[in-house]
Amino acid sequence: MRYYARKLGFYLVALWAALTLNFFIPRMMPGNPVDTLLAKLQQRGGSVGPDVREAYALMLGTDTGEPLWDQYFSYLANMLRGDLGVSVSVFPEEVTTVIAQSLPWTIVLVGIATFLSFLVGVVLGMVVGWKRGTWLDSLIPATTVLSAVPYFWLALIFVMFFSTSLAWFPLNGGYDVSLSTGWTWEFISSAIYHGFLPALTIVVSSVGGWLLGMRNMMVSTMSEDYILTARAKGLRNNRIMTRYAARNAVLPSVAGFAISLGFVVSGSIITEQVFSYPGIGGKLLQAVENSDYALMQGIFLVITVAVLAANLVVDLLYGFIDPRTRVEN
Amino acid sequence: MSMHARWRRIRTASIGVVSVGLLATACGGGSDNGGSSADSDTLIVYTGLAGDWPRVFNPYLPTVSEGPGTIFEPLFFYNIARQDDPAPRLGTEYAWNDDGTELSITLREGVEWSDGEPFTADDVAFTLNMLLENEALNTQNFQGEPTVVDDTHLTVSFEEPAYMKAPDLLGKTWIVPEHIWGELEDPGTDQIPEPVGTGPFTLQEFSPQAFTLAANENYWDGAPELPEVRYVALSGNQAGADALAAGEIDFQTGPVPDMANFEANHEGYKDVTVHAFQMVLDTCSNAELGCTGPQTDPAVRQAIYYAMDREQLNTLAFQNTADEMSPGFALPERDAGYVSADLENQTVPMNADIARAQEILEGAGWTMGGDGIYEKDGERLSMTVRVVTGWTDYITAVNTLSEQLKEAGIELTPQPASNNETMDARGRGDFQLQIDSQYPGPTPDPYYVYNNFFNSDNTVPVGETANPNFARYSNPAVDDAIAELNQINPADTEQRQPYYDIIQAEIERDMPYIPIMLGGNTSQFNSAKFTGWPTDVNLYAYPAVWQRPDQAEIYRSLEPTGE
Repeated sequence: MRYYARKLGFYLVALWAALTLNFFIPRMMPGNPVDTLLAKLQQRGGSVGPDVREAYALMLGTDTGEPLWDQYFSYLANMLRGDLGVSVSVFPEEVTTVIAQSLPWTIVLVGIATFLSFLVGVVLGMVVGWKRGTWLDSLIPATTVLSAVPYFWLALIFVMFFSTSLAWFPLNGGYDVSLSTGWTWEFISSAIYHGFLPALTIVVSSVGGWLLGMRNMMVSTMSEDYILTARAKGLRNNRIMTRYAARNAVLPSVAGFAISLGFVVSGSIITEQVFSYPGIGGKLLQAVENSDYALMQGIFLVITVAVLAANLVVDLLYGFIDPRTRVEN
Repeated sequence: MSMHARWRRIRTASIGVVSVGLLATACGGGSDNGGSSADSDTLIVYTGLAGDWPRVFNPYLPTVSEGPGTIFEPLFFYNIARQDDPAPRLGTEYAWNDDGTELSITLREGVEWSDGEPFTADDVAFTLNMLLENEALNTQNFQGEPTVVDDTHLTVSFEEPAYMKAPDLLGKTWIVPEHIWGELEDPGTDQIPEPVGTGPFTLQEFSPQAFTLAANENYWDGAPELPEVRYVALSGNQAGADALAAGEIDFQTGPVPDMANFEANHEGYKDVTVHAFQMVLDTCSNAELGCTGPQTDPAVRQAIYYAMDREQLNTLAFQNTADEMSPGFALPERDAGYVSADLENQTVPMNADIARAQEILEGAGWTMGGDGIYEKDGERLSMTVRVVTGWTDYITAVNTLSEQLKEAGIELTPQPASNNETMDARGRGDFQLQIDSQYPGPTPDPYYVYNNFFNSDNTVPVGETANPNFARYSNPAVDDAIAELNQINPADTEQRQPYYDIIQAEIERDMPYIPIMLGGNTSQFNSAKFTGWPTDVNLYAYPAVWQRPDQAEIYRSLEPTGE
């Protein structure tokens, strides 16, 4: 019990530290929301007289003149109440609305892509590790090269090749905008169709890591005595590979997978940008470009909580699976 | 056994999921290609906004998705692209009293809000009073007092002559319905998700990825020929250029690759370039307000002015879309009548005159140093110039400029930073030079540029945020001339011109903003699908999709060809 209490305590402290950083780091960036907004209006033909600045500062509530410390404490209090504030870049929408609108897109897209990438990587890694020394080994440099290729570059190449030249897939967006959103088959199929290429980018560029890790664990597991015993018993090769070697070799990858699930919510900013995908990554970029502190804090909070939660789950599971981690010195 | 059964179930389930996915992909692939709609009469526009649309149709919020001009109308339309008289919209006539303190406005009869309620002078008075009561909405600093005479007449009285306030009041004040807005708790924070206006279009359908405006069947001028306008969401200029190349959008304003051959590369599309934004080097010019560096010496600013080769800049940085500007800051074509005859150069020199630049420097006591850069009292003639990272045209311009100025013995060091940081520094005066662009006012009159950027009322010492006299220029002669212009009816051009002459001569000599060229805004549009677009010879509105309410004028003129 004390083990779990200590873990929980640690996560509370980590959460507080993350919240504090979320508050201060955005405010250390140069610029402020009103001047950024004005500059944007000026570049786009707005007739921006000298009186506009004052009006917008009043409207966005950015000139409260409150000391930073007071802002910090009211921020903490608001966070406890679940009040994330009002976004400046899409004023007057609530931050929670903005996040609620874009988070599902990212979770579905990046979530499925991460899952597929894990599945493909682990299965391939298992086979490649089992048949080491054969031609299959060439898969490893091939996939690691793909994951070393810059993300955005791969995405751009895919767009150029599959969307612009071959026109197999749509150029951008999360769904066909002439459809209305809802749980209709037409809309869902359009969403899947639009999500295919971004998901492919993520899978192709991340599968190499899983493959490599799984393959190496397979190789070391195969030299264990119980594999030798299994062979000696005359079990089928397939059975030894899946039930004996792979089940033990996959453990570290599963832990890694749980953690990478936590990062799903942070999305793939660049992929979303290239495909104009309506996810959380684009929102984060928008928040940074507009000095939208409230939105930035909100998104960072969601990311932090997701990562911490994923870690907590892994931690608790490990304590459960492996009693050694629970022993105190 | 039970465990095996469970495994099998999971396996079957995952196969099911995968096949559903594949099936969906196949179906999607068959039915549709590229995401554009089948409706050939719908105008699809991209405004350059990055990201999703917020459901904000409150025309007074800076984050408004759409509405000014299309859904909510002003009283008159002011065309900033050429010297037109204000065109009647909700208003039909207006007149000033003799000293410019009372404006009488006649309103159009028989106009209805899109919910069927009649539009009257009460709605106009309500809108103006709303500005007075809500400082946050009063971006034009309206300080008049509206009085309703009858349903179609009202007057607005001012304490001081307010001639120059008229374009904002008449042309940029979006009239809202009293019967709806009167009930709002706070018009400054209401998104107006279901806008009701008098304009030629109404909101039909909304999703964050796209929304559609439909022609208003009860519009006072008859429903527009264009049945629908769809606004799509993309991630920025690059995505816009891609979508344009794929024929997925019909109208956008922004840079595209290979501008010179645009029409050859995009079948059925045309482009039009207009010039109203004046590109300048902002200089922190005023040592009394805390500026430091060689650029506080007017001779240095003059020398930069003569040493730059604008023709080369235009070719290398601006794809030849920029145009000649006047050192008096009146637009040479549009404001031809205002350009002063007393100017030394009517328009800026397009090629470098190194000898002239050096003569000016030496006349001001600068001497050539051993490293080929001038110096004075131990200070080298070396300055930093701020530029936004990622704005490739400005970056190329600044790099080219620093090569050009080196010939004349002036050293420029580009200082790239993010947009936020650069704009913040501009406001606080934390720059020596900065490449920038001055926006036009609400009507074709250089007065607004003078008042915004050259009036010492709009500046503050370095360290505080200037708005928008970033150069911290302060010249009593210019201030006085602007004050005089406020007292004169703009129709009386003869009486105004002497003051314009004074301002132009002063700013040509002091040069707090070093003129570069007129920046070109290029818009691309699908002329095969629609006719009635603005052209070089018929600029009935400023042809930029983000220019409001000009975009509504363009939508009103378009007719689908049915292709």
